[in-house]
Amino acid sequence: MHLHSLVLKDISRRKTKLLVAVLGVVVAFAAMVAVVTTFSAATDSLYEESNNFGANIIVRPEVKTIPLVAGSTSMGSLFTGENYIEESDIPRIHTIMDSSKLSAVAPRLYGVAELGDSSVVIMGVDPEEERKLKSWWKVQGSWISSENTGQTEVMVGSDIATPLGLTEGSLITLHNGNISMDARVTGVIESTGSNEDAYVILPLSDSQDLLNREGKVSSLEVRALCNECPVEEISMQIEDKFPGLEARSMSQIVRNELAIIEHTRSSAMAVSIITLLVSTLTVASTMLASVNEKFKEIGIMRAVGASDVQVVSMLFFEGAIIGAVGGIIGFAAGTIASTISAPLLVQVPPSPMWSILLPVTGICIFTGMLASILPAKRALGVDPAEVLRSV
Amino acid sequence: MSDDNMIRILKAGKRYRIGSGEIEVLRDVSLEVKKGEFVSVMGQSGSGKTTLMNLIGMLDSPSGGIISIDGTDITGKSQKELVALRRRTVGFVFQQFHLIPSLTAWENVALPLIFAGKEDIGYVAAALGRVGLSHRSEHKPAELSGGEQQRVAIARAIVMRPKILLADEATGALDAATGSMIISLLRSLAGEMTVIMVTHNSELAKLSDRIVNLKDGNIEEKK
Repeated sequence: MHLHSLVLKDISRRKTKLLVAVLGVVVAFAAMVAVVTTFSAATDSLYEESNNFGANIIVRPEVKTIPLVAGSTSMGSLFTGENYIEESDIPRIHTIMDSSKLSAVAPRLYGVAELGDSSVVIMGVDPEEERKLKSWWKVQGSWISSENTGQTEVMVGSDIATPLGLTEGSLITLHNGNISMDARVTGVIESTGSNEDAYVILPLSDSQDLLNREGKVSSLEVRALCNECPVEEISMQIEDKFPGLEARSMSQIVRNELAIIEHTRSSAMAVSIITLLVSTLTVASTMLASVNEKFKEIGIMRAVGASDVQVVSMLFFEGAIIGAVGGIIGFAAGTIASTISAPLLVQVPPSPMWSILLPVTGICIFTGMLASILPAKRALGVDPAEVLRSV
Repeated sequence: MSDDNMIRILKAGKRYRIGSGEIEVLRDVSLEVKKGEFVSVMGQSGSGKTTLMNLIGMLDSPSGGIISIDGTDITGKSQKELVALRRRTVGFVFQQFHLIPSLTAWENVALPLIFAGKEDIGYVAAALGRVGLSHRSEHKPAELSGGEQQRVAIARAIVMRPKILLADEATGALDAATGSMIISLLRSLAGEMTVIMVTHNSELAKLSDRIVNLKDGNIEEKK
């Protein structure tokens, strides 16, 4: 028999009374787990929804501006640098350190072509990647295909479709100097209120043929997404990997996302701290009552040879057991509570956060031990001579 | 003074502070007890018998004087040193038995070994055998009679094979027959260890080697 067996025996004897302390931990940590799980599910959902906002990093060739000055007279500016990114370089973006956080990399090639008597803006895209960024587009008809169907497919913005009377299935011919390209309209994009309303969108390879820019792209639109995603950091990694390109994060979107997450996180943290305090006080008060109740036993133990360290370690062990049992039950109860409440509160079904089970149990054990400090101090004050005399 | 003294007390006193005043429970007490001797301490209530036992048992420290146990001067020793010395030198038997209700007789007897971090290599069985309770080892205190509980308490007191056994009113809560049996047990232990017994019963005290009478905090030897 060991010292800790004595504690376990004592716990089994007083289990009904200690249940109050365990319940205190369970309630507090169940609330904490429920809050964390629910907020985490809500945050994930927000991220998923914000995925629809489009790209949050735009990669373009770096353009330097050199002011032209003759004496004291400004002669305007000279822009230097490449206008295009090599398409063959694009896969290298997946070698950056945080590449796992890139959810979409959409190349674009811009140019101008003639459609009938009008000049229109051509935007060549990778249909699969573009679709990830523009999932909210409403297309009357269908998206252009990424596979070669033998005929060029285009989508047109509403500002072009309406005056030219284009609908799904319309056949058009695009011209760029001597180059002509017949194409079929697969869909008309309903007005988005942005520049794309006036674009003719076609697969990247066809746009390269039409604009005579083989193997070139004008820019990359990148969506980097995850909780705590360091978008600015990812931009820097891209710039390091592609000298001569500049990667700009769309800070407003990022800031909004971070603000939402910070807000939810700090709310969760505040609730957690309050519950933690309540839990510590509950355990402390139950254990203090338990020490008062065991005053005689502690005196006997000290009389038959228990040292101060042994008395304290027995109480700390008791606190740790209360914390551990409370923590594990609290985790289960909190997970069940969030499964029931989250769909009602944040319209998101959460999944159990197994990753917090160990930290939660650890915090519970620490809380139990922390709550044992005062009772331990009281137990050390037990004078065996006085106790044995008074009983 | 001789070399075979287990306990040597020289002009020891004990004062307690109560509120703003002080009461003197023991005054210049001097006492020598030989190794293996069986000594009874008698006296009126409040004469300082229990205080004297607590000083010898190192549960309390004297306000003045010198107390030496098995050749070691215990005055001025730290609490940690006293706990270690108490574990290996002294066993206690109390009037109210002071067993832990949730533990079996075996576990109660094993307590001093647990606290000393000492492995039980037959010590508990030997101690229970010595008090004739081997067959009751799995019983909890509530399932034992008063006499049996006191015998478990004696087994607990001797399990570490202490040099001194202190019995404070060990028969006070027992009937006369059971009390006599307990005294016989203590008598049989004397010789192997020094036994000091506090009692009010002069008939039982006569079974010891020597009677020390405490009166108003001072010692009067009787026999």
